[in-house]
Amino acid sequence: MRLRPVNRVIPVLVLMALALLWSLDFVSIQANRIVPGSSLGLVAAVGMRWALGLSGVLALCGLLAAYVRRPPYGVLLALLCLLLAQLPLSLAWVGEQHITAELAHARVGIGAGFWGLLFLLGLLSIELQQRVRLHRAGLLGIGLGLLLLTLGVAHLGGLEPLALMREYQSRRQQFSSALYSHLGLVAAAVGVSLLLGAGLALLINRFPAIQRSCMGLLSVIQTIPSLALFGLLIAPLSYLSAQFPLLQQFGVRGIGWAPALLALIAYSLLPIVRNIGVALQAVEPSVIDAAHGMGMSPRQVFFQVRLPLALPVIIEGVRVTTLQAIGLTAVAALIGAGGFGTFIFQGLGQAAMDLIVLGALPILLMALLADSLFSLLAAHYRGVPAP
Amino acid sequence: MTASHWQGWRWPLLWLGLLLAATFGLPQLEAGFRAIEPGARAVIYSQASFSGLLVKHLLLVAAAACAAVALGVGTAIMVSRPWGRDFLPLASQVASIGQTFPPVAVLALAVPALGFGVLPTLFALVLYGVLPILRNSLAGLHGIAPAVLEAARGMGMSPWQVLWQVELPLASAVIVAGSRTSVTINIATAAIGSTIGASTLGDPIISGLVNGNSAYVVQGALLIGLLALTVDSLFERVQNRLPGPAAVALG
Repeated sequence: MRLRPVNRVIPVLVLMALALLWSLDFVSIQANRIVPGSSLGLVAAVGMRWALGLSGVLALCGLLAAYVRRPPYGVLLALLCLLLAQLPLSLAWVGEQHITAELAHARVGIGAGFWGLLFLLGLLSIELQQRVRLHRAGLLGIGLGLLLLTLGVAHLGGLEPLALMREYQSRRQQFSSALYSHLGLVAAAVGVSLLLGAGLALLINRFPAIQRSCMGLLSVIQTIPSLALFGLLIAPLSYLSAQFPLLQQFGVRGIGWAPALLALIAYSLLPIVRNIGVALQAVEPSVIDAAHGMGMSPRQVFFQVRLPLALPVIIEGVRVTTLQAIGLTAVAALIGAGGFGTFIFQGLGQAAMDLIVLGALPILLMALLADSLFSLLAAHYRGVPAP
Repeated sequence: MTASHWQGWRWPLLWLGLLLAATFGLPQLEAGFRAIEPGARAVIYSQASFSGLLVKHLLLVAAAACAAVALGVGTAIMVSRPWGRDFLPLASQVASIGQTFPPVAVLALAVPALGFGVLPTLFALVLYGVLPILRNSLAGLHGIAPAVLEAARGMGMSPWQVLWQVELPLASAVIVAGSRTSVTINIATAAIGSTIGASTLGDPIISGLVNGNSAYVVQGALLIGLLALTVDSLFERVQNRLPGPAAVALG
């Protein structure tokens, strides 16, 4: 055994996880939605055996990484999956242990210790992914597996006592309509701005003189904070809708989806136009020459040479735009556009912490999923594995 | 002072002038706002003065920016030294994956962790603001040609001198670009901080949305927009004066 650790990152993360687990509250238990809850530490929440087992596996990871000459990163990855899988199970176990029949309305709140563990396991998986050179899709697979396991446990009723689940249960309808309106707004904004942006990029390509002013205007828009742009659109749109009854019939009003969609499109144009412009110019003239030389028609050159070469850069633009739109749609809930932001701002208004989390978690998940999917897609077209 | 020297200040000065004019002039435009909201009892936001809100907004963003620069650049320096290099892959991945999270979600999740008020807003601003700075600092420090560092060491410079006199100056343009991204995002996020109890220029907007008074919304939105444009144009001015490939947008 050597004293100087082979890998220092994993032991540091493990030590931090252990410190958080044993010092912070793992869960809190409330008798009902109103009364303040009582906090439980790790041992009180899941029992001594579970606590020691969990800490033991964590410590094993740290020791293997630090003191085996060529750390068995595959084994570590397997242990990490085990640690991730026990997360939803531990919550179900807490419910089993502490929520008895006479406490029908009792709810289990997730504590800082649990979130801390989740965060550090996330960091561990990023570190391990790079050590085992796991494809990015592998990481996505592990994440999806964890999500499915959690949904499975929830489906079987194991997570019923969770405060988060109780908030969800009383808002099933609103949750699915929030999901649809959030996704709908993001898809509409990205779709429309992709069409508009392609047109604008081609226009700029044809008339380079307008490039400076166009890009300047778009970046000024990008600089304006979302809350301000949403706010500035309310007055003109309500004026228009008052003047033209036809607009009113389509639901165009000062608040709601109309100003939200307009602002989202305005924000989306800059990354889209910039990336399409870069993509179209980045194809080397010699390649185009060669294609012409092979007897390709201009149409063939565009669809068979320019577009495939430009696609990864365009997809990167769509990725940035989508992530931006997911976040901005959350803010748009303030002007009545729906989406998961509604839960966040309702929760903030009622000081209902679980409701805030119910709104924020799906937004984070959507962002992570969109990021992974578009990164994989871009890597696929680029023909090299994602970083 | 040449003419071209002043030319660079044209936009920052224009936006700043408009911002100050709006801050002190909006309350005088009562008749104009009456046209937007004829039925309302009051059409000028008066729970707090615009100048007070502007100062609070700026202080919040400035405090977050200072902390984020210290944290981001500090971390980038640490993980690019020989003794901290083990942590480099993790730091660069966290900087890029962290930026996929929307700032508003980070702000919202600060409330269950820290409660309402200025502190959780500041925490969220720092946490999110660090990421672009960290990412650009890593890129800037990494982008220096090894031959340059070799030459500096060959001249007998100590590691500290190499860092202060060679690495940081060469990386400064990219670091400032990251700070610009960070501050732009934070001005917007601080405005939303009104919903979690921080007093900023978002207050008139939120109050206007809650009470259905578009005049308040327009006042807040104008001021925030002008503030963002002022600060951004100042950053552009600073960036143009830095050495090396200025305006490298890595954000």
